[in-house]
Amino acid sequence: MAVAAVHSGGIADHIHPEPQGFIRKYVFSIDHKIIGIQYMITAGIFMLLAGALAEMIRAQLMRANGGFMTPDTFNTVFTMHGSTMVWLVIIPLLTGGFGNLVMPVQIGARDVAFPWLNMIAFWIFPVSGLMLYSSFLMGAPAAGWTEYPPMSLQGAPGTSMWCAAIFLVGVGSTMTGMNFLVTILKMRAPGMTFTRMPLFVWGQFVTAPLLMIATTALGAALAALFVQREFGVPFFDPTKGGSPLLWQHMFWFYSHPAVYIMILPAFGMISEIFPTFGRKPIFGYKMIAFSSCAIAILGFMVWAHHMFTSGMAPQLQLPFMVLTMLIAIPTGVKIFSWMATLWGGVLTFSTAMLYSVGFLALFTLGGITGVFLAAVPFDLHAHGTYFIVAHFHYVIAGGSLMGALAGLYFWFPKMTGRMLNETWGKWSFWLYFIGMNGTFLPMHWLGLWGMPRRIAVYDPQFQTWNQIESVFSLVMTAGIILTFVNVLVSMKRGKKSGHNPWDARTLEWQIPSPMPYYNFKHIPSVFATPYDFAEPLPYRGLEEELTDSPPPVPAAH
Amino acid sequence: MAVASVTQAGIVGRHHEEPDQLYVETRELRVQGFLLFMVSDLVLFSSFIFAYLYLRNTGQGWPPPGAPKLDLALAAINSVILFGSGATMHFALENWKHEKFMKFAGWMVSTIVLGAMFLSGQIVEYGKLAVGWGSSGIFGAGFFTLTGMHGFHVFCGIIYLTILLLQAAQGKYTFQKYTGLTLGTLYWHFVDVIWVVLFSIFYLI
Amino acid sequence: MRLDRGFWTATAVLTVLALIVIFWWVYAPITAIMPEAVDKAAQIDALYRFLAASGSALFVYVVGYIVYFCVAFRRRSSHAADAIGVQIHDSHKLEFWWTLFPFLFVVGLAIISVRIFYGIEPINMPSNSLVVEGLGHQWYYTFRYPGINGEVKQLHLPLNQQVTLHVSSYDVIHSFWVPDMRLKVDMVPGLVNTLTFTPTRTGRYNIVCTEFCGTLHGDMRSGTPNDKAYLFIDTPAQYKSWYDSQQKANANASNEIAVASSSSINLTGGDVAAGKAMFQTKCSACHAVAPFEQKIVGPGLKGVLHDPSHPNLVDGEKATPEDVAKILQNGFSGPLGVMPNQTANGISDKDIANLVAYLNSLK
Repeated sequence: MAVAAVHSGGIADHIHPEPQGFIRKYVFSIDHKIIGIQYMITAGIFMLLAGALAEMIRAQLMRANGGFMTPDTFNTVFTMHGSTMVWLVIIPLLTGGFGNLVMPVQIGARDVAFPWLNMIAFWIFPVSGLMLYSSFLMGAPAAGWTEYPPMSLQGAPGTSMWCAAIFLVGVGSTMTGMNFLVTILKMRAPGMTFTRMPLFVWGQFVTAPLLMIATTALGAALAALFVQREFGVPFFDPTKGGSPLLWQHMFWFYSHPAVYIMILPAFGMISEIFPTFGRKPIFGYKMIAFSSCAIAILGFMVWAHHMFTSGMAPQLQLPFMVLTMLIAIPTGVKIFSWMATLWGGVLTFSTAMLYSVGFLALFTLGGITGVFLAAVPFDLHAHGTYFIVAHFHYVIAGGSLMGALAGLYFWFPKMTGRMLNETWGKWSFWLYFIGMNGTFLPMHWLGLWGMPRRIAVYDPQFQTWNQIESVFSLVMTAGIILTFVNVLVSMKRGKKSGHNPWDARTLEWQIPSPMPYYNFKHIPSVFATPYDFAEPLPYRGLEEELTDSPPPVPAAH
Repeated sequence: MAVASVTQAGIVGRHHEEPDQLYVETRELRVQGFLLFMVSDLVLFSSFIFAYLYLRNTGQGWPPPGAPKLDLALAAINSVILFGSGATMHFALENWKHEKFMKFAGWMVSTIVLGAMFLSGQIVEYGKLAVGWGSSGIFGAGFFTLTGMHGFHVFCGIIYLTILLLQAAQGKYTFQKYTGLTLGTLYWHFVDVIWVVLFSIFYLI
Repeated sequence: MRLDRGFWTATAVLTVLALIVIFWWVYAPITAIMPEAVDKAAQIDALYRFLAASGSALFVYVVGYIVYFCVAFRRRSSHAADAIGVQIHDSHKLEFWWTLFPFLFVVGLAIISVRIFYGIEPINMPSNSLVVEGLGHQWYYTFRYPGINGEVKQLHLPLNQQVTLHVSSYDVIHSFWVPDMRLKVDMVPGLVNTLTFTPTRTGRYNIVCTEFCGTLHGDMRSGTPNDKAYLFIDTPAQYKSWYDSQQKANANASNEIAVASSSSINLTGGDVAAGKAMFQTKCSACHAVAPFEQKIVGPGLKGVLHDPSHPNLVDGEKATPEDVAKILQNGFSGPLGVMPNQTANGISDKDIANLVAYLNSLK
């Protein structure tokens, strides 16, 4: 209690002692910035694995009759590719990674609400990732990332390991969601009202309840599948009265919101990047924030649009169809607002900006095909084909992942104090952008022409297009690898960035790079949104952040 | 800013027993975090309740052939015991707030005992059903999974409350600062409320 | 800063481009690539044309404006280092319009989709259609026809005859998709899903499984060694000759009550009236006295022993009284569901005899 003498006494001023020693500083750290970087590194490693699996898929599909690997291996490969990308790359990267790194600083806090919980949530993630990959030792799961029973009931023993690993990842996600929600609700700096929060914080704020609620529902589904497989409790076994459709309901009740978990933080990122590189306020701040909420709420009411062909009662399909189409409205509002943000700006095309513009174009295409699929009659034709593969890769590889890459090029100086090489970055963008379109655009018509997804061999008439895709996938991979090399090299040798290389206006750019463990010497107060480029910065109390004045004294316990 | 802090800290220093700013805010955070934990726990139960009701309505009529008969009387007695423990938990916290440690301890012990009695009742019920989890079909998939999960929550609650009682006895909480006890009470009431739902869907409808 | 000449020029160019893509999608030769084999395909194609035309036009505008803005508003060397963009935060008028526009689009799309939805979903079962059953296996299809014993490997359908296709699966979830029909339905074990359509174009069409079903999922399509199943749409005469040949190849089972029963239950002297009463107390919760397709939990049992479209019972045995008795005695557990056995249902041997007599009397 005695140390309270130097603070105003509230939790906003509660500072953890600076960690000493390698282990406490970089391994079992409770510092949200370190944890954020740990998430990114771990997700990056899994991304390399998933990328290798993706290239194996493309290698197999070079020829109509396959031959690169056996169909069974192919099935495990695409299953692991999907599972890894969804649970071990995109979600941890966008929530645990960028959310942890940036969000607490952007709201003017010293850390998240529960730093220990944060650390535990992080460490669950690599452990469960290793568990997932250990399933290769006992026969990997091979029923797709959706693991529909009864297919998953036939699966190798590794399928149970898959359940356990994803369950654990989900526990970590749930913890992160709770942590972020409390942090944003309770730990904002004085004056940081909801309408003054940066839009990236809005993205995390809307994502957090999705993480918390939807992931728990997934946990229930996984637990049920696990006990069905291991103890024969017949949830999903039709021969014992269970229902395969029950799994689809439970799974998609999570996995549709999960799509928004994967995109809403990316929405937030590009909403930061467009104003910064356009020197212009975000257009329609309130509509962007509000439409995120609308998307999150609607996201819980549309899960059965993944099941239009599965034998659900026709009358039940109609509300799901109409609700799904409604999501086009808030999404459209967002896209138009971003376009209007570009209009009349002074646009600097840094790599982060290029990735954000790429995001906008590609996500738009993914969104439009999403509306197509909402229409039941069209879905009856397109469901389960490569059209679906094209659609969700445009949303996830073109949207979420490009958002994450934009965020990486944008916030890298904040993590390391050094810039990423912009020339390499631009090369990486163009390689990724061209490769991505070359890989996934032809899948639209392949699907409509009759090529189903998840197949190790296919009708020879589709071979030419598949070969084109496989070649372009190498271009895409080259872009990603270039970014990885860029990160590794720039970490040590990059140009020093200074505290605010982009002249950005949110709080994290007003403190030194890399950010000190206490974030702020004094908690600032906020009196406007950060997007008014004609005005001075809307913060008070930041005068000492960049000076040599002594850091605050940590609490004793 | 710094001046204001020192003044405030001075006040804190003089009145050690008064909850300080840090405590008040930490308590808010912890309570809110705990409420969110209960929300996600509720989602877990809801998912299985959905699964149970789904199977019940898409299967082969209900109860399915071969499903064991549940003992409504036993379950009703058990429910009364559990709800009673909710009341005793409430009295325990109220007594703590009124700074009566012995009464608090008494009510806590009765809560723990009632919780244990409920669990024993559940075990008796399971014994009478005499079917296994895996072999009892979709009835068991719903019944044993949900009541088992709830029983596990009760079991954890008993341990949790015991720890809280020991901590209180050791003086970890003061009559002004007792967030841990509040959370324990919230948890126990949560377990009660879940049981109302489970009792209704298994024994009443 | 107002919208300048460049903006309107860009708008004009994009409008021309949008009109071109709309024109393309309205007149795209879809059927030249993929013929429409059944009546409902045309409706789905019409919806697709609408979606593709409006979607591509929207895409042209969005991406076109993005590219235009990126070029027009790029930082130029003439800009001061601290140059800032136009400081506007929002425009309620603009936001109103670009909320209303997607809303109206969604309403329009929903109306069109719902109309087509009611046109293609099997909500009202036609009464005079040809009923065929499709069954998924790992990794091939089989089909059951009225009057043909056993399961055949090819799907033949007569031209211009309304068809009701019931599908289910023996093992895992499969899917029945004929790209040229534009229709698809999952084959889910334990569930019977239905498609109705009328073939309108003769020819041979591919059948494809789109629901992941294991090792040889990619091979579960027409033209592979595993699955040679095609959909043949025949002229009525061709269909009849194919049907007759199949019928001959799979001779019918006898429906007479055998005196010397192979089952352990003596079926002689079953009482139809007692069987009827027993049926109403024990069986009617799950089985209707109606055609096979009218499922409650189990299939409808009207004419179970005399139904030419179902010469086999759900357990694959021939529809004879002994086999019905066997199911009553032992219960049944298979892709179509579960039926409890004699003990669980609480029926005696005599009850079974009565029930069989009653079921046999239903024609």
